[in-house]
Amino acid sequence: MAQIPSLDNSSLNLKYVREQSQRELVNILKNIRGKKCLVIDPQLSGSLSLIVPTSTLKDNGVELRHLEAEIIQTDCTKVIYLVRSRFNLMRFICSNVHNDISKGIQREYYLYFVPRREVVCEKVLEEEKVHHLITIGEYPLYMVPLDEDVLSFELDFANKECQVDGDTSSLWHIAKGIHKLESLFGVIPNVRAKGKASVRVADILNHMQVEEPVNSPDIAVSEINTLILIDREIDMVTPMCSQLTYEGLLDEFLHVSSGSVELDASIMGGQQEGKKMKVPLNSSDKLFKEIRDLNFEVVVQVLRQKATSMKQDYTEMTTTNQTVSELKDFVKKLNSLPEMTRHINLAQHLSTFTSKQTFLARLDMEHTIVEAQSYDICFEYIEELIHKQEPLVSVLRMLILFSVTNSGLPKKHFDYLRRELLHSYGFEHIAMLHNLEKAGLLKKQESKSNWLTIKRALQLVEDTDTANPNDIAYVFSGYAPLSVRLVQNAVRSGWRPIEEILKLLPGPHSEVKRGGFSSSPSFDTLRGNSTALDRPTHGRRSIVLVVFVGGVTFAEISALRFLSAQEGMAYDPIIMTTKIVNGNTLAETYMEKWG
Amino acid sequence: LLWKESWELGKNPMASKGSPLHGPRIKLIEKAQNLFAETKEHAFESKAAEEHAKLLRIQHELEVSTKQAIFVDSSISDTIRTCIALGNHRAAMKVKTEFKVSDKRWYWLKVFALATAGSWDALEKF
Repeated sequence: MAQIPSLDNSSLNLKYVREQSQRELVNILKNIRGKKCLVIDPQLSGSLSLIVPTSTLKDNGVELRHLEAEIIQTDCTKVIYLVRSRFNLMRFICSNVHNDISKGIQREYYLYFVPRREVVCEKVLEEEKVHHLITIGEYPLYMVPLDEDVLSFELDFANKECQVDGDTSSLWHIAKGIHKLESLFGVIPNVRAKGKASVRVADILNHMQVEEPVNSPDIAVSEINTLILIDREIDMVTPMCSQLTYEGLLDEFLHVSSGSVELDASIMGGQQEGKKMKVPLNSSDKLFKEIRDLNFEVVVQVLRQKATSMKQDYTEMTTTNQTVSELKDFVKKLNSLPEMTRHINLAQHLSTFTSKQTFLARLDMEHTIVEAQSYDICFEYIEELIHKQEPLVSVLRMLILFSVTNSGLPKKHFDYLRRELLHSYGFEHIAMLHNLEKAGLLKKQESKSNWLTIKRALQLVEDTDTANPNDIAYVFSGYAPLSVRLVQNAVRSGWRPIEEILKLLPGPHSEVKRGGFSSSPSFDTLRGNSTALDRPTHGRRSIVLVVFVGGVTFAEISALRFLSAQEGMAYDPIIMTTKIVNGNTLAETYMEKWG
Repeated sequence: LLWKESWELGKNPMASKGSPLHGPRIKLIEKAQNLFAETKEHAFESKAAEEHAKLLRIQHELEVSTKQAIFVDSSISDTIRTCIALGNHRAAMKVKTEFKVSDKRWYWLKVFALATAGSWDALEKF
């Protein structure tokens, strides 16, 4: 199974996006002749593996290394560094270069920043007096297609940087990515944004359009009809709940990274103990495409059904005489066997986690918190978690969920729980508490919570049959993600009907219609087209680009896919996110690490 | 600005984690405590810093008396657990009263610690 998803069935030509990035990288490599050592930022290796297969790199005479604190040993006389703009990475490069100098080795150095160079980083190189030895360039890789309907910017800390550090460079990055898509597929006529960061992105996007208009006259009608931008900040409830879809659970327990999951080979029926293996998870795997978005309970049933039917076929095969065409059918079915085994193994492994008493108790409590009815029970549960010194991340998830739904905790409880946290986990976590408070995730109660109103108005708690769902609430077995409810409304009718609710949520909202060409005078003659842009494109399903600023969970993606498959929903979603997140990864970004 | 300044101070001791110079570290934390105390809204942080300094002192004493460098930089709960696991109930009790640890938390810690130490008899009695 290929690690790189095929993208053949994508509603938007994302293959083109990938090929463009691939071409750009190969060009960089080709322009540097001879054998070379490509040293990459370990954080980029996931993204790169989704863009170019390692074999392509090898074909270009590349020796692949990771940039780490250790000095790199290589025979190549040409070294190419491919890194994000980070200080510590600059230091590593400097120490490598210094090491070569001290040994009297002469090499050619090339440094490519991803996606763009930053002056502060070059300053580091200048201070270390290596700047003049290095040829510096840019590799504009802004986003990576994770699957046929998901694009990621792979920005790990976007949420925290925006909320705590006030660093909004990620917003520029996002706007640039969208702008890049527009240059391929046309200016998106409808833009709807909710949240401070989202509205900023929409603004930056407009500026980019003015400064650097998308001028491809051959695209008269944009392929993407609507752009919806949602801040993660608006809905911190959803990611803190445990996801219950197949893909979501895989991420919760095994952590899916760049479209694959790494686990012990023994789990997948391998022979060697302790050996790690990577299992790719994308829609090229037909069975996975079928079951990824289902509630896990149903997944187990589906797999069982498939296994039994296959067994039946097999017995029929051995007992009766078959025509050749029937044999052919049977063999075809057998081809899906490796996929079957893979997912049965994975599902079995997952069920060892999901059947645990503590997990079930946790789910129960999450629902109690979201229902927001029994404050005391929830408080005592969290208190006990802290006293038992349960893993800090899982405690934080509960605390954030609790604090957000109550719009903060009463001062007495707030101080009490913070003190217990410091006592149980150590005083060094005070910085983390500060971060969380600044981001509004764990704070003192200042006003009455409006969560109940929001919950009721958007019907967030819904009973739905997980096997035969009629509502997106199935992804959390009874809770419909707030973020997706907003998208649902925005697609259907825009913001106006739910304006009252939007006002209860943090941040402004905006709704803009863009004339496409009207902003650039040279296209005045084409202005007549702007009215045509409002219509969904000729009979085809229109495409909605949903951007989550600050991360999205797999469960939310599943919910969006579910919506588009419903009757009367004539659109295909393309999801764009700073990063695929879950409660753990999100909470971890707030836990500061000390040198 | 004051917040930021004291924050930097609060951060510093963490950055020098693992350094053998505990004396200066405690002083720094105490300085941070005083800075926090200058404004009303940081009462919590001030108290935390005070407790942190106190904890480091106690841990230091414990390391000297037990001759094991396993206390510094662990949390209050961890310190209590280690004491009980080592059979040093008096020290554990002292930490408990010193930091006003609630009975609820105390019993959880005691159960866990006794279980890890394998003192099933003591667990039975308790």
